[in-house]
Amino acid sequence: MFMPIPLALALILVLTTPWAVLADVQDETALDIQVREIAKTLRCTVCQTENIWESGAPLAQQMRGVVRERLKAGHSPEDIKEYFLSRYGDYIMMQPPKHGVNWLLWVGPFILLLGGGLLLYKEVIGWVRRTPAAPPAPPPPLDEQARQRLERELES
Amino acid sequence: MTKGAQLTLVLVLLGLFALFYQGLWGDPRHIPTVLIGTDAPIVEGPDVETGQTISLEQFKGKVVLLNFWASWCYECKVEHESVLQLHQLFKDDQNFVMLGVNYQDKLPDAQQYLKEYGTTFPHMRDLKGQIAIDYGVYGVPETFVIDQQGKIRYKYVGPVTGHMYTKITQEIIAPLLKGEAISTPS
Repeated sequence: MFMPIPLALALILVLTTPWAVLADVQDETALDIQVREIAKTLRCTVCQTENIWESGAPLAQQMRGVVRERLKAGHSPEDIKEYFLSRYGDYIMMQPPKHGVNWLLWVGPFILLLGGGLLLYKEVIGWVRRTPAAPPAPPPPLDEQARQRLERELES
Repeated sequence: MTKGAQLTLVLVLLGLFALFYQGLWGDPRHIPTVLIGTDAPIVEGPDVETGQTISLEQFKGKVVLLNFWASWCYECKVEHESVLQLHQLFKDDQNFVMLGVNYQDKLPDAQQYLKEYGTTFPHMRDLKGQIAIDYGVYGVPETFVIDQQGKIRYKYVGPVTGHMYTKITQEIIAPLLKGEAISTPS
């Protein structure tokens, strides 16, 4: 029986495609996304202001491994964050949890901005009030030629 | 705004600024640990020298000193003599166990280190960094003391030398071995 070449090629492709492997790759990609989302919220404890997703430090790499393993084991992102919090405290979170003295970190910059702005405003107002208004400068005297021209124009 | 109110505002702003500045440059290793008083994670790993599995489970009911180290760590070399001395001091007590945890290291380097500097107690390898993360380790050397009930009672970041050696031996381990309370959290 003769089969057209395109059809034969399509059949070979379907029969030889490792569907199971492709499914794994898809799962892996979904897992990678989850790992990235969680890793971006966790601070690298041996770096300055870097999360464990962006850091190349061995500890950050191992922490990413722990996130991946726990996701594979069926833990939720919240469970995983809770685990890291229980080991390192609030410092591990890139965004400090909103409780206790941590509120200072959230509202402090606004207090600094508002308070600093208020002080600056008061100071500028004070300067303006303390500086006396300068009297208007007298107009320059008219020379003879200009004076005569002005008189002529007024008379006409 | 009165002068007093202005002064208060300036002081509050300066205080906040100082707090943020200190937080920006502070060493996170000195942040008080959240692990004191919590159950010590039961960890296990292969022995650096023999390859046999060592588990913390097998030392339940004893005072355990866990010392995280690495062959590439300068401060670990600094504390090595003191650590051996500490083991020498308590090794005859049946209720005391000392374990080294080899952290982020290559096996031949770790073995060479122990051969060169000597050891009198077992060391387990932290293969994937899981043990270090379970114990909230920032770097090496770090030392933990676990009581007979399996609770973490003390943590110190840095080399156990000088006054820290005295503190850990006299104020932490000795009282715990006698069943006395200790009042010195990390």
